[in-house]
Amino acid sequence: MSELAIAARGLRKVYLSGFFRIPYTGLEGLDLDVRRGEVFGFIGPNGAGKTTTIKVLMGLQHATSGEASLLGVDHRESAARERVGFLPERPYFYQHLTAREFLDFYARLYGMSAADRKRRSGELLERVQLERFADVPMKSYSKGMLQRAGLAQALLHDPDLLVMDEPMSGLDPMGRALIRDILFEERDKGKTVFFSSHILADVELICDRVAVLVKGVLRGCGTIDELVGDRVRHVDIAARVAEDAPLPGLRMREEGGVTQLRVAPDQVDRALAAVHAAGGSIVDVTRARAHLEDFLLDEVDRDRPIDKKKLGVLA
Amino acid sequence: MSQILAIAQNTVRETVRDRVLYSLLFFAGLVVVASLVMQEITIGDQDKVVRSVAQSAISLFASLMAMFLGVGLVYKELERKTIYTIASKPLKRWRFLVGKYLGLMVVLALEVALMAALYTVVIGLQQGPPGVPELMNWIGLMAELALLTAWALLFSCYSTPLTASFFTLATFVIGHLADDIWRFGQQAEAENLRQLSEVVYWALPNFSVFDFSSQAVHKLDIAVADLAMALGYGLAYSTAVLAVAAVIFERRDFR
Repeated sequence: MSELAIAARGLRKVYLSGFFRIPYTGLEGLDLDVRRGEVFGFIGPNGAGKTTTIKVLMGLQHATSGEASLLGVDHRESAARERVGFLPERPYFYQHLTAREFLDFYARLYGMSAADRKRRSGELLERVQLERFADVPMKSYSKGMLQRAGLAQALLHDPDLLVMDEPMSGLDPMGRALIRDILFEERDKGKTVFFSSHILADVELICDRVAVLVKGVLRGCGTIDELVGDRVRHVDIAARVAEDAPLPGLRMREEGGVTQLRVAPDQVDRALAAVHAAGGSIVDVTRARAHLEDFLLDEVDRDRPIDKKKLGVLA
Repeated sequence: MSQILAIAQNTVRETVRDRVLYSLLFFAGLVVVASLVMQEITIGDQDKVVRSVAQSAISLFASLMAMFLGVGLVYKELERKTIYTIASKPLKRWRFLVGKYLGLMVVLALEVALMAALYTVVIGLQQGPPGVPELMNWIGLMAELALLTAWALLFSCYSTPLTASFFTLATFVIGHLADDIWRFGQQAEAENLRQLSEVVYWALPNFSVFDFSSQAVHKLDIAVADLAMALGYGLAYSTAVLAVAAVIFERRDFR
């Protein structure tokens, strides 16, 4: 049995767009290993190639070149998807079906028996909290309900690998918590979870490892610690100092005569000296550890400089 | 096979729950009933005129349904992106296509059966129950619908419903003129024109093979061999068209 749930080697996707078939590279030589049993996050800005990667892996699009396997089986074989559950971004389902009919139909595509279909559908409708709406046509479902129905169909056959494209997108906090709980349950059962997301706080909370994709190129892959390292995002300095004292960095707020100052790591000495020079005193100095977002912004920044101050980042 | 049946069943359910189907069916029924009016305004063999109008209405509306529903068969799945969760299952794409096709064929068979039942009631009250030629004509019609649907499905695999409708309609019209194209071509003096007419004749479907309406209207016997040949032709040709559709569909990217 392959140790890898997903393996991609040199995966490349070139689209030909418009009347003149102008080539556009969506994915450039992606090498990716996702180990069995891990929760793996796939992040990147819009248009980075996350959805393209997922569509190629799931057989919805053909790679221009390169190889990939799911649970050790060539991803181009339909058999590769036998033990895989998939939730697409903004799932679209047959509006004429009720959730119960929908799950029964999809379970038939997995070759499940009538008894198993009934049992499993019931279990999952309850798990995603849709049992009250099980016999209502899905055309009347909200976005969150559709997302939950989509998750149920992905889990129907108790897959070993769960692939999800933006599973948290558009969900309310309860919906996000529900999806998180289910992901943790799957991980605890030894399943592999691979998902893309823009909600980096969730990625940091849930994922064992993360891959960062920018403009179709893999820019980093590893644990959060490996990616972020011991980088400091910014330093918060609390000081008692005159209101009009010239200080570097951002003045965050004044509270009880204490000024909260946020500075970049390389400006700490200058800020401390400025406080002292203005006759002030230091109350507290706190280092804020960098987040995944900082790593992502740095990687995007390599191609297209971003005014990080506008984003509230000083590092 | 169970996957194909599941897709087919879902297609039947989807089509049956679509209001468009009932609008077409309503108009088809209206024309069959209205054919009785022809009796009042016709001189000569009134019964034959009524039978002819009613049979033509069944054939025309069934063909319209095959074209209308056939061109949207795959396109709707792509447009509504339901294909994402279907094609990502352990399902070969050709099975999906065949399932969709069979599902629509079941719906068309039900439609023809319903219209034939209406014909039996409406016309039968005046002229007695339909005979074997009429039944054989409806079987021939089903073979024609099978081929027409296969073409509609093929076009819908790579174009929008509007373009696919245009192509399917063109195929339908040319297919009904196939014998005429052959005859005109053979009478042409230019060798190139004769060869062109032969190419067109053999490359495009010949829907007149399935047409037994004249015998049905005149209550003439239809040779079983002729019907068997039409069914064989329809089956072989439909399979070939579906195979081409499957190859095109297999190569498609779902974006």
